[in-house]
Parts: sequence; structure tokens; C-alpha cells
Amino acid sequence: MKRFCIFLLVMVFCPSFVQAQDERIGSIKNVEGQVFVLRGGETLAAEAGTLLYRGDQLKTGESGRVGVIFRDDTRLSLGGNSDLAVEQFEFAPGEGRLALVLRLARGMAAFVSGQISKLAPESVRLETPVGTVGVRGTHFVMNIVG
Amino acid sequence: MGLFLRILVVCLSAMLAACSAPQTPPPSLFVLLPDDNGTVGSITVRNPQGSQTLDEAWQGTTVATAEAAPEVPTLLAADEVKARFHDALAAQAEPVRRFILYFEKGSKELTNESQALIPEVIATIHERRSVDTSVVGHTDTVGSNEANMRLSKERAAIIVTMLADAGIDPRVLETSSHGERNLLVPTDDEVSEPRNRRVEITVR
Repeated sequence: MKRFCIFLLVMVFCPSFVQAQDERIGSIKNVEGQVFVLRGGETLAAEAGTLLYRGDQLKTGESGRVGVIFRDDTRLSLGGNSDLAVEQFEFAPGEGRLALVLRLARGMAAFVSGQISKLAPESVRLETPVGTVGVRGTHFVMNIVG
Repeated sequence: MGLFLRILVVCLSAMLAACSAPQTPPPSLFVLLPDDNGTVGSITVRNPQGSQTLDEAWQGTTVATAEAAPEVPTLLAADEVKARFHDALAAQAEPVRRFILYFEKGSKELTNESQALIPEVIATIHERRSVDTSVVGHTDTVGSNEANMRLSKERAAIIVTMLADAGIDPRVLETSSHGERNLLVPTDDEVSEPRNRRVEITVR
């Protein structure tokens, strides 16, 4: 019983412990040229089939390109010299947790919205140094010069 | 002669000024495209100086810096947009492929039609080299919530076993179960509806 109480306390006060069990948010489908995933201070060479986790950042070299599918079916791709961070990804429709916030610091991106845009369009945001894009179920491209 | 020299000096200094003037970088660009099925949504580009909404295909807005408002949208030539964004568009992943497999009433048995779809599901996962495929179990509203939660879980588990037996790495399969809380066809409670007795597979 005592052990169970401690377990309950841990579950109540450390929701991240519950969440941490699967933080997969998508996968890389297409890669050309130099593409890197920045994760927890490490830089990994990306390839088709690389899984993406919450908090990952993607960088491409001059001739790099990458295409990603997130777990909510959102499709995102980058051209060369691009830098994109996944700031927020929550896809738990049953619990009402829905959020997708990406930050393109520079470069070129194409975006096709998925389930999160369909279920909670106000929770989808693409941030850039010159402004923020709000999305209503759609396909768009952006080129951030900087 | 004096006049000619003066004109020459003015011209030369103008050319020099043009060369040494700091070049303003091209502005950032945002363009709305049609979806794969031809429909068009909308995007709003916003910063503290203002906002612009794009709701027509191939409409674009430019933003010079964070200190300048987004410009009034203009219609761009589709070919120019495709050329400028070629690299990002070429790298786009294929749309996901979704399968819906139906079950017999109150059971974990697939219908014959759905059983026949299994080879195509397997082939699609292999072809796309998917490392992220969802298998989600559902029921209709006949029976209690708890019983349906259990049944939807069993339905998803049966499909995972079939796929794993066919050589698919179970680590690429993400399983979940929604019981009767996520109906494909909305019905009242205690309604037998074949289209709600299902497992949905999304191959990414």
C-alpha cells in the first residue's frame, strides 16, 4: 500500500514521467545532401527512417533537403540552408491535448497540414524571425531570408 | 571641356555610390498553395506591425523585417513559385495511406473483404519503408464502455499480430484503442453499426 501511494505521488507530480514513455513525433521520409537532427546537444546525420522525438531540431546544408511526416500526418519539408525546431508537438485527441508549434529560423519550408490543424487549427503555429503563420487546414511554402 | 569633366565625375561618383550602397536583402516570402485535392485553405502572417491573410491559391505576401508589417498579398505565377521552392517541394513526403479494416459483430474476426486487404497493408508498409504506422482499434456502441475498450484493444492486437507474423517489425507499429468513443458513423448508444467495428491503419 505504501509503495502504491509513492507510485501515485510520482504519477501525480511528475506527469513528464508518464509522457516520456513515447515521445516519438514522426519520422524522416526523404533525405538528400547534408541533413542533421539536433537532439539533446548531439548532432546526428539524418536518413530516411530516422525517428523524430519531441524537441528535435532539423538543419540542412547548402544542398540538403529533407521531408518529414509527423504522427498527426502533417507533412513538412525543407530546402537548403534551413533550420527548423519543433517547439511543441502534442497529439492526444482523446485527452484534448493538441498542439503543433514549429520555428523556422532560416531557409525554405513547405507545409501540408494534418490532423492537429483539422481538430484544433488555433493550436498550429509556424514561427519565423519576421512573423508568425497561423494555419487553417492547408498547404503553403515560406522562404525566410536572414 | 570643364562641363564634360564635371558630368564625367558626377557619373562616376554615382556609379561608385551604387556599387558601395549596402544591398537590402530580399524580403521573406510566404505563399499559399492548393492542397493535393485542389481545395485551398488559408494562412495568416502576423507580426507586431500588422497581419495579412492569404486565402487564394498562389497568393503571396512578403515581409522585409520583423519591424515591417507584412505587405498586401499579391497573386504570383505558379511556375515561379514552384521554381523558387523547388527543393522543398521536391523533398515533400507522400501523403499517408490509410486502411480501414472491418470486423464481424461483437467479435475479433475480420470480415472477408477486410481480410483480403491485409496483403496490401503489408505491401504498403514495406514499399514505403514505414517506421511509423498506427493501428487503432474501435467498436460500435453495443455493450458497456469497458467491454468495448477491451474489444477495441483486442482488435488492434490481432492486427498487430497478423502484421508481425508477416515479417513486419513490431517496433514500427504504434497501437492504441478508442473503444466506442471515436465513431466513424455517429450513432446513439447501443446501436449495432458495421462501419464503426473497425481498426484504422495509417501508414506514414
